Amino acid sequence: MVANEKATENKNISIKREAAEKRELCFEDEACIGCGICEQICPVDAIELGPMGAIVRGELDASKINIDESKCVLCGMCSVGCPVEAIDFTIDGKPISEIEEYPRLIRSISPEAENCVYCGACDIACPQGAIRVMRELPERAKLVTGEIEVDKDACISCGMCEDMCPADAIYLEENIPTSSNPEIATDIVIDKDKCVYCGICKRICPEDAIKVICKACPYGEYEIEEAEVKGDLVVDEDLCINCGWCQEICPKDVFEVEKPFEGELIINEDACQGCETCIDVCPCNVLSFPESSESGQIASKIQKDEKYCIYCGACQNVCATNAITVKRTGVNITPTKSKAWKKAVDSLKFSDEKAGSSSSGAAKAKSEGK
Amino acid sequence: MAYRLVVHPELCHGCGNCVVACPVNASKSTEVAGGKGPQEDVGLSIIVEDGVVRINQLKECKNCATCIKACPVGAIGLEEV
Repeated sequence: MVANEKATENKNISIKREAAEKRELCFEDEACIGCGICEQICPVDAIELGPMGAIVRGELDASKINIDESKCVLCGMCSVGCPVEAIDFTIDGKPISEIEEYPRLIRSISPEAENCVYCGACDIACPQGAIRVMRELPERAKLVTGEIEVDKDACISCGMCEDMCPADAIYLEENIPTSSNPEIATDIVIDKDKCVYCGICKRICPEDAIKVICKACPYGEYEIEEAEVKGDLVVDEDLCINCGWCQEICPKDVFEVEKPFEGELIINEDACQGCETCIDVCPCNVLSFPESSESGQIASKIQKDEKYCIYCGACQNVCATNAITVKRTGVNITPTKSKAWKKAVDSLKFSDEKAGSSSSGAAKAKSEGK
Repeated sequence: MAYRLVVHPELCHGCGNCVVACPVNASKSTEVAGGKGPQEDVGLSIIVEDGVVRINQLKECKNCATCIKACPVGAIGLEEV
């Protein structure tokens, strides 16, 4: 039998075998969210999930998974199960996702960019930095209309208008007074691109040297053209993990997200010791420490919002006190005829017999060793 | 590649942060969870004894690194086994 060849570069791992057909598996560490699904689905226990708590907290510089090339049979199940495409698998150069016989996780993000008003909420909320909103605002001068005039003979250059102007539209050219030029300012300049004709300068001026008329207020907005915000919404599907934050936070219903798994996230508050590891590990920002509503009120230990959960199981794997159970009940996947593959897919679903044992390899190895 | 928690007693100042930070310890002893030292051995993971850190047992340790984060002097780490 031809042996597998393993290569590691930085934290990425590749395993390949060239026999009758060429099979190659490539693990990309940066894309990995440390969920441990690959470890769970591997039929030969060749994959071991690293200590994700230590890794995401920067306390250990290591690859998130390890693959034992002597056990790996290059079946491709890890690649199919991976919800973030961190494991590429090819047969004779063709990605397994393009080979019809193999199942494929169904997950997607579909933005309707034409409804986007470029508010930027998705950009801020996306836990993976997969969304960028770029916008170009119209010139302020186009959204106001009015007139402003300074009587420079009456102006005493006190600078109160400059200090008060909320739009930074007034500028005094200061001068150190000398016997030849005994002025404290040589000029007062109004930047009409910035002025919004609010009239504060007129009201603060002790010498009534400024005249301001805002035409928009008395005469309506007929002189003002409609504000046009141009922008661009860019979604990086390679970074997206379908958590649904964008879909939930968008005020314009721009996004539609299909999640790879269904399930339930159960937290046992009595068992939780508040170590924060799950919060640090969760790739979807599902978990947080709630703030107390008022002094003396004890908030719950940990808060979840399952709207954002993809039931990947990363939190359950790192919890040292078994306070979290990710009950994965559904796998959103294309059909397959193969019994072995059906079984592999089903192994990702929650079952009571598995519930007692941890799915983390590190813990498994340890309990066997002791 | 499996990892295991290791301590470096020569660096330890004996502050006990790790003992109370460890979620396994806290789950086993209300005294530890409350920020106090344990009164008896209830199967804690990491302890400070005679002013020096020591690993007691690692059966439930999941290498979450909470103790490592809590240690002010870098006396705890993970090593490959």
